[in-house]
Amino acid sequence: MSGGGSLERERRQAYLLVAPAVVVLAGVALYPILAAVWLSLHRFILVFGERRFTGLDNYAFLLSDARFWSALGNTAYFTLVAVTVELLLAVPLALLLNRAFPGRGLLRASVLVPWAIPTVVSARLWAWMFNPEYGLINRMLPGSDINWLGAPGYALHAAILVDVWKTTPFVALLVLAGLQGIGEDLYKAARVDGASNWRMFRSITLPLLKPALLLALLFRSLDAFRVFDAIYVLTEGGPANTTETLSIYAYKTLMRSGDFGYGSALSVATFLCVVVLAAVWLRLLGREEGAR
Amino acid sequence: MKRPGLGTALAVVAFLTFFLGPFFWQVLTSLWPDGELTRPWPSHLTVDSYVSVLWGRPFLRVVANSLLVAALTTGFCLTMGAAAAFALAKLEFRGKGLLLSAALAVSMFPPIATVSPLYLILRAVGLRDSLIGLALPYATFALPLTLWVLTSFFRQLPDELYRAARVDGCTPFQAFRRVLLPLAAPGLATTAILVFIFAWNEFLYALTFLSTPEKRTVPVAISLFASEYREPWGEIAAASVVATLPLVVLTVLFQRRIVSGLTAGAVKE
Amino acid sequence: MGRHNASLLALGLAVLAVAVGACRRASEETGAPAGRTRLVFKYQPLWGAPEPFRELLARFERENPGVELVTEALPNSSDLAHQFFLTSLEGGAEDFDVLVADVVWVPEFARAGWIADLSEYFPPERLREDFFPGPVEAVVVEGRTYAVPWYLDVGVLYYRKDLVPRAPRTYEELQRYAREAMAKAPGVQGYVWQGRQYEGLSCNVYEALWGHGGEALGEGGRVLLDSKPAREALEYLRGLVRSGVSPETVTGFSEEEARRVFQEGRAVFMRNWPYAWSEAQKPDSPIRGKVGIAPLPTVSGEPGWGTLGGWQLAVNAHVSPERRRLAAKLIAHLTSPEANLVLALNYARNPPRPSVYEDPRLRAADPFIANLKEMVERSRPRPVTPYYNLIADVLQSEFSAAVAGLRTPEEALKRAQKQVDHLTGVGE
Repeated sequence: MSGGGSLERERRQAYLLVAPAVVVLAGVALYPILAAVWLSLHRFILVFGERRFTGLDNYAFLLSDARFWSALGNTAYFTLVAVTVELLLAVPLALLLNRAFPGRGLLRASVLVPWAIPTVVSARLWAWMFNPEYGLINRMLPGSDINWLGAPGYALHAAILVDVWKTTPFVALLVLAGLQGIGEDLYKAARVDGASNWRMFRSITLPLLKPALLLALLFRSLDAFRVFDAIYVLTEGGPANTTETLSIYAYKTLMRSGDFGYGSALSVATFLCVVVLAAVWLRLLGREEGAR
Repeated sequence: MKRPGLGTALAVVAFLTFFLGPFFWQVLTSLWPDGELTRPWPSHLTVDSYVSVLWGRPFLRVVANSLLVAALTTGFCLTMGAAAAFALAKLEFRGKGLLLSAALAVSMFPPIATVSPLYLILRAVGLRDSLIGLALPYATFALPLTLWVLTSFFRQLPDELYRAARVDGCTPFQAFRRVLLPLAAPGLATTAILVFIFAWNEFLYALTFLSTPEKRTVPVAISLFASEYREPWGEIAAASVVATLPLVVLTVLFQRRIVSGLTAGAVKE
Repeated sequence: MGRHNASLLALGLAVLAVAVGACRRASEETGAPAGRTRLVFKYQPLWGAPEPFRELLARFERENPGVELVTEALPNSSDLAHQFFLTSLEGGAEDFDVLVADVVWVPEFARAGWIADLSEYFPPERLREDFFPGPVEAVVVEGRTYAVPWYLDVGVLYYRKDLVPRAPRTYEELQRYAREAMAKAPGVQGYVWQGRQYEGLSCNVYEALWGHGGEALGEGGRVLLDSKPAREALEYLRGLVRSGVSPETVTGFSEEEARRVFQEGRAVFMRNWPYAWSEAQKPDSPIRGKVGIAPLPTVSGEPGWGTLGGWQLAVNAHVSPERRRLAAKLIAHLTSPEANLVLALNYARNPPRPSVYEDPRLRAADPFIANLKEMVERSRPRPVTPYYNLIADVLQSEFSAAVAGLRTPEEALKRAQKQVDHLTGVGE
């Protein structure tokens, strides 16, 4: 069978194919999100034993909440630095993984190790490494002990290092998947033309890799913006909230203070920031696809 | 196979040190007698921590639970994700952009705010405190990444392949199953690993939704090791080494697939 | 290749089918056998040989035929347990009956209607007769009992008997002794405590505040921070870091960091909970036999007050009256003097009843706990206000700012006061 009403049939099958995904997303994910949004419009604090609709009050308070802005600043800084470093490390790593050399299997398996260690544990592992008295890092560094987790300038960077260690493999895998899609013949042709390695990287690899890079950037920055575990275990946002990110603030408000209304508002605000971020990436991604 | 240059060798060593260094430190910690952790070097090594993790607690059971949940999640996610991604990449229908962005939006919400409502849903449908009930939200929250990665993977496969299959008399679904899905194996393998590890690591939902001790997953079990103030470092390290091994094995098994390349000549653009 | 994928898929489906089957079986099993009531107890692992505690639970089953007791462990981290209860109790969970509650949760859970009023089983007057005043204050909310103290904890001072002449009584003495010892033994630090931004820091600050003659709770239950003693307390703590008596790194310390330094023999004094004692006395401990324990110092020289910690038992308000009655019975069993003794002897948990400290069995088997009585008696709860969890966060961050030297104590306290008043609705 072919031709004729096949377009109609194709569309029907398309709907069937996406149906399970749509149902699950709507059923399991959409409801909790809407529930949280709804909650954010309430004053709902456990100890006051009250729950009443207050419209956008929580959001009005949020705009004037200095702690929110400082958390937003910390989050933005964390995301920017962590994702940049991860990308800069992941591209060479992926190029390496894509080449044939003895021991490649070992490297491939081992890059996944940091990522395979449960996050709760890896954050603890690093807390241990950062321990000022007997952690591995201060043992190896010469000079006086650095107060990694207790000094304002260091703590956030310590958390960034943990994130880089943990998620660079993820980025590298996505980039690697992108590299797989580039045909070998392009390079062959370039080599015939006498192009240098760097030249080939600049004019073939990088442009063709752009969609994969943007995809990795998209997912990593969405994740980094919601960073929680590493910071929670290392510092709980201290000292003096200098490492407090939006997720940590939201967590403390929801789960420690029992302020469900404002905590939900903080979560929604985080969500909105991420939406803006995603919109920027998607635009770039869309432009890229359009150009192809 | 070319002989690797010095640069390659250096880069490999640097990456290995960075990624494995802390892990080896952890392995060393797990063998280090607890009382001597503050000293520069241990006086001797001991496997006490492993003994107490593996025999003192039902840890293997816990690892099995985690494997099961992660496998279920990966199964759910790839089944739903591959079908939808194929449709998104190769078929014509309305609402594609909407679906992709809605999926993305789901992955943008801070998980902590979704715990309470999800708890209510799972309780209502009777799936609380079950491994399936855990795999379901995992699969949902891993679905966006799956959709995006696989869609871009399917897009890279030439349209001619799909058309040729259709001309040969395949339905769209058959074209997907018999022609495109096999070609997407590297993408599937990559995604499978991403999803599997996500499910393996998840802590927040697992802590809240599971209550029976027999159903605990690895991260929750490890969080139970610490007493109120005391942290048994050796045991935590040993447990995480034990918990990391299955994943390393899995990766080694899958790695040929991850980088098997987009198959032979016929498919080249 | 295609076949390979198909087999992978088949494998996945098979796993799925097995799991579904397993789940169904499990859910069938959860229904208790007819005629038996299943009572679920959510608690935290006690750390130690499990047998004595199991025996304690088994005794309850024997005394109450028809009751099947099930225990489900929670992480020991107070935060994680709080998070678990917030989600499940808010969601109306009725799958557990008895739960453990941190000292500072009881008023909050009571207000939220999540834990049952136990006054008919444990009248407040009787609790006041039988238990230390600190913990009773924490479980009686507006004249009604909502929980019963299970075991408690208190902040104390550890000192090195071989490095200082005796336990310091005043802050001045502590710093002088520390300096003298540091001069004699290079590489040894003076005083380690908990300065990381978390609840442990707040405990250290309250202790300093009480030691400077202050109170954190003002008239009408207002949490009062912008006061002279509070300022002095923070200046004292910051001064320890600035003068080098405490290492700079103390601003990143929680209990374990401090303990490991002290245990390695690298500190003269340590503020910590009693748990560190048994660690210090382990056979391979470098400081075994060289450690003394004393009440925290104060400005005036009278014995100081340590922060009250520990856990209480409460009943889930969502369960049926019948199960509630049984749950109260279980609590009575688990908090009896006899049970207190089991916990003290086997798990080093400090009894909340003064009478147990006089028990000859305890005095013979564990003189350390028996001797803690003086300090336990002087344990003080953190400000007892239902708003405590609401404001704890703000306090931690401002205290941390002062201790790390980011703000002056005065500035930090002013900011803290403003935020606390805002959150609790004072002056609005």
